[in-house]
Amino acid sequence: MLRLSGLAVARGGRTLLRDVDATFLPGTFTALMGANGVGKSTLLATMCGVLAPAAGSVMLDADDVTTLDARTRAQRMALVEPTESALASMTVEDAVAAARFPYHRWWEWQPSDADRAAVGDALNATALTELRGRELGTLSAGERQRVWVALALAQRARVIALDEPTTHLDLRFAIETLTLLRRLADDGAVVIAVLHTLEEAASFADRVVLVGDGRVLADGTPATALTPAKLHAAFGVTIEVEARGGSLSFHRKTK
Amino acid sequence: MIRLAAIALLVPLAALFALAVGGTAIAPHDLLLAILHPHQPSDSATILWSLRLPRIAIAATVGASLALAGTLMQALLRNPLIDPYITGVSSGAGAAIAIGVTLGVALAAVPAIGFVAGLATAVLVAVLARRGSGLDAERLILAGVSISALMSALIALALTVLAQGSASAQIIAWLAGSLSGRGWIDLAAAAPYAVAGAILGIATIPALNVVRLGERRAATLGVDIGQLQWILLAAAALLTAAAVALSGLVGFVGLIVPHLARRLVGADLRAGVPAAVALGAALVIVADAASRALFAPLEIPLGVLLAFIGVPAFLYLYLRGTARVYT
Repeated sequence: MLRLSGLAVARGGRTLLRDVDATFLPGTFTALMGANGVGKSTLLATMCGVLAPAAGSVMLDADDVTTLDARTRAQRMALVEPTESALASMTVEDAVAAARFPYHRWWEWQPSDADRAAVGDALNATALTELRGRELGTLSAGERQRVWVALALAQRARVIALDEPTTHLDLRFAIETLTLLRRLADDGAVVIAVLHTLEEAASFADRVVLVGDGRVLADGTPATALTPAKLHAAFGVTIEVEARGGSLSFHRKTK
Repeated sequence: MIRLAAIALLVPLAALFALAVGGTAIAPHDLLLAILHPHQPSDSATILWSLRLPRIAIAATVGASLALAGTLMQALLRNPLIDPYITGVSSGAGAAIAIGVTLGVALAAVPAIGFVAGLATAVLVAVLARRGSGLDAERLILAGVSISALMSALIALALTVLAQGSASAQIIAWLAGSLSGRGWIDLAAAAPYAVAGAILGIATIPALNVVRLGERRAATLGVDIGQLQWILLAAAALLTAAAVALSGLVGFVGLIVPHLARRLVGADLRAGVPAAVALGAALVIVADAASRALFAPLEIPLGVLLAFIGVPAFLYLYLRGTARVYT
């Protein structure tokens, strides 16, 4: 369980979000949504202990994440971010194997059977098995995006936070990735993902946290959080929401 | 694995070459006799055991230390243009030695002065590069370059204004890099620091391998970046200070050998580090032997010779074709 209490997050000395209170339970897939620059990525990185909170706390079960040592934290939480370059000559398998670092003590240099199994499963789940020998520099943006997701899987953490995991992915891989995240949540993981597509959030997530204007604007099921009024508050765009047969569809309002 | 073994084999081959080559040529038969019977009173045995072997051991230590320090720093800063001298060790050592020599400090004290001043400069650079609990890569490079420039100015000042008599010749000889006159005692004094640096550095290899994915990603994968940076900087400073105390300024080894090792065995540091260590040792052993033998009895400074070999080789490797240097 991940609990944010009175959390404020800042980037470059500027507070982006404040008074964030939320609890994420195992078995839930939460979509974190909001306009560009409101602090979604910063919130995600702060939740995962990579950035220090400006105020408030992040508790992972009984532990404050800021006090966990890096390895323990990495065994329990995975963060997938789209940015930052990696060494182009690393192979896909090499990169995914790096996710097993937190399970090794400094003198353990060779992969264990558990490492091989975790890496193999992660490659399999992201359809990268055939690309395992390819160098990162030769991959497309979408293929690289799947490598970052595979890293989080190989990490075998119970909390998985993903910043725009479907960016660069084609329709098939976007659906496969979201289905995979849904399954991880169903298996008892805490999954939190920044998503930009309302349909993706409505069909795969069971909870939506909508942020904007320096705070949480809505927090609830897709049907309660993604209302025209709240979407307008978050994005400044008028959207019609239609509920039909248990699923939501969204249309831009035209006069 | 086979490549790594072949590279490792270069070290004994280089040592054999360096044993046989020098101002006095030793025939293979005498060489073998002198190796097998170290206490036999013969000229060959004396030359071998008290002149050439210690120099080979020192050359190997210098080459391995600089290559290791360069590999670690390039991996940490994810920058292929970094050499171990970015730590400020060499320029600090150079400035202290230049000033010490002009003030009439005994020649025997030069390595010790270089060592202490080198480490002190590295600490200064590290303090300037500090950010939060770790180091800032760009600040480290800026601090290293600027402090080095300051120290070079001090060296120039010592050479042009302060130095009298033979002092400038001694300073210049040290700056040019040479193992001339070094023996077992010098090695015994410097080796513990090189070993300590090597142990610290080698222990970080798994974490450095993760840093290949980027610092931020490595942090989310459980690497304590701040701690890693301090350990590596300490390792590089110790290794470089030991090398500088033994040989003066020997350039290019710390820059070129890591590239060469990456070329040959790839970017996985579990293979890259041993390859760089072996290549660095073999390169400096051969270069030192050549510096003794080429124009014997005149010795060409080791640093000069390495630059003459190293720079064209480097340019050939990297300006040709489409080789990716690092990223």
